[in-house]
Amino acid sequence: MFKPKFIISAFTIIIFLITTPLLKNETRVLEKKILNLNLKILSKKQNLNEAQLDYHYITSPTLIEKKLSVIGFNNYQPIEYSKIFFSITDLTKIQNKISNLDNLNEKKIEKK
Amino acid sequence: MRKKSKKNNNINQTSFYFEDFLETNKKNKIFKKSSNFQDRIYLLFFFFFSLILIFSIKITHIALIKKDTFNLEKQNTQFSLLRRDIVDRNGILISRNINTYHAAVDPKLIRDKKNFLIKLRVNFPELPINEIKKNLKKNKYFRIKKRIDEVEKDRLWALGEKAIKFEPFQARMYTHGDLFSHVIGQVDYDNYGISGVEKYFDKELKDKNLKDKPLKLTLDSNIQYIINKELNSAIETFQATGGGALLINVNTGDILSLVSLPNFNINHRATISDKKYINKISKGVYELGSIFKTFTIALAIEHRLVNRNTVVKNIPKKIKCSIHEITDMKEHPKNLTVEEILVRSSNVGSAVLAKKIGEEKYKSFIKKTKLTENPEIELEEVGVPHQLKWNRCKLETISYGHGITTTPLQATALYAAMVNGGRLIVPSLIKNRKIEKKDKIISSSTSEELRGILRKVVNSKIGTASLADQDGYFVGGKTGTAESYGNKKNRINSFISIFPTYKPDYSLFIMLENPQINKNLIYNYRGVKTKAPYNTSGWNSVYVAGKIIEKIGPILAINSKEFTDQYVVEKFN
Repeated sequence: MFKPKFIISAFTIIIFLITTPLLKNETRVLEKKILNLNLKILSKKQNLNEAQLDYHYITSPTLIEKKLSVIGFNNYQPIEYSKIFFSITDLTKIQNKISNLDNLNEKKIEKK
Repeated sequence: MRKKSKKNNNINQTSFYFEDFLETNKKNKIFKKSSNFQDRIYLLFFFFFSLILIFSIKITHIALIKKDTFNLEKQNTQFSLLRRDIVDRNGILISRNINTYHAAVDPKLIRDKKNFLIKLRVNFPELPINEIKKNLKKNKYFRIKKRIDEVEKDRLWALGEKAIKFEPFQARMYTHGDLFSHVIGQVDYDNYGISGVEKYFDKELKDKNLKDKPLKLTLDSNIQYIINKELNSAIETFQATGGGALLINVNTGDILSLVSLPNFNINHRATISDKKYINKISKGVYELGSIFKTFTIALAIEHRLVNRNTVVKNIPKKIKCSIHEITDMKEHPKNLTVEEILVRSSNVGSAVLAKKIGEEKYKSFIKKTKLTENPEIELEEVGVPHQLKWNRCKLETISYGHGITTTPLQATALYAAMVNGGRLIVPSLIKNRKIEKKDKIISSSTSEELRGILRKVVNSKIGTASLADQDGYFVGGKTGTAESYGNKKNRINSFISIFPTYKPDYSLFIMLENPQINKNLIYNYRGVKTKAPYNTSGWNSVYVAGKIIEKIGPILAINSKEFTDQYVVEKFN
């Protein structure tokens, strides 16, 4: 009367019946966690957005110059073209050349 | 089955009484009973199967279709900003949306109105209490404070009044206040662009697919600040009524700075109807005067009528044309080279050259350059130059920039084309765009020759723009002093510079409206300390341009290999 096929299928169905709500519940919990985390991310994103806005406002040239005037500098100082370096290696090269020239001058003075 | 068994009974039945004792009937009875049992099992199975099926479908439906229970997208959109950021060419933020609130009151929910008002007065003395009182009496929902931040919201919330409601609202913030007012524009309370870039790119700025990508402009905040500051200071020094400045890359058309003064703080909403607040660079239409002589000389060289060293002999002191009399401000020698005509800024010399060029060629040049058409730029605020009527003397007057109007934007863009090898450019505010290759209006050789002449305007003793000669930047350019079209009381002193002249990268336009001579200002003019003898652009606009180039030069040149090679490395070799 109770064929194995029937028993197996019934058993499978029962297992599915039990596991489905379990899985569903677990998924619900996970989804809730994801939602909470997502909310946290969003609020952090919002804070970051506002912090960036503040940063760009505080570092805007107008405000920097106001602060500089408090310190004592009235203006941005224009950079002389001899002080513009394309890279740090250019700067060190020139510094080496200058120090070599200084050394040579010193030696010349010593000889005299 | 039953039918079959009945049929069998009828066949096998011998007598009515012995029917039950027959073996076959017994068998049939058992079979009948088992058949009933099986049917019930099937029915039960079918019932449970249907039940499971219904539940499975419901579960699948909940899992797949009914997303609203935990809809992350819905949450995201609640927080997502309605407009994209706008940044400058270095990624510095210019405008961004932030979440704020409007605080409102529902009077129906207030238990004790007196107590409510006392609480507000104590904690928020800046609020208009009398107005709130009136609104409370009306018993209708009203707003008490607009655009409040989280801190203020918490303070209001701490009052513990459930009648205070907070309406979420997105506000557009501009980090630089008035610095980019004429370019960026504004948005309304519903986050729709109403002017400037905000209006022109309204659709793009609201595009949800691009919301994480900011709109990158070609503008440079630091350069904009320096130019804005220097121009403001010049307006004060020369008591001008307004001013404008434009810095563009002559090869790409990138606008690095666009300043129009007076300006206004775009963080505050106000209706501005005064004409002095228009964008003078793109909407202002002016007669730009002697700046046009550059185009006349370029045309004469291009058509091989002259070269820069050709001597134009017997230039008269004045030319009479109909009712007009064309003269020069200063007296110049009778014979001038083409170069000298531009360097000394001779009106009569330019008129003589224009006659040589002829009306048809000049007409075709203006048509090609679209000088008298609407300017092309990503702004809604553009001016319409007056239509040219080629009557008598028009050619002569146009040759030195009178009787023709255009916007400073178009004039600077055409100037850029004159020095970049002859190729027309379209000024643009958008970084990383596709740059279309435009037609050439003059040849590379003419352009090179012109650059040489423009350098002379600045560095020769007879030039009109000596105050812009900044050491190391090879500045060239042309001054223009003119009256405003249709209003002769309005004076426009302008200067278009290019630098470095050996291979120009930038063109800077400076304009001052109605400047006056500053008697207290002492200039360092070619090594001599002097006061301004005339109210010409050479003594105000050029002076401002020189100061600006001195300050922005290092910022612009910092990534220029040519500049570094020429001025930094070579100096120590």
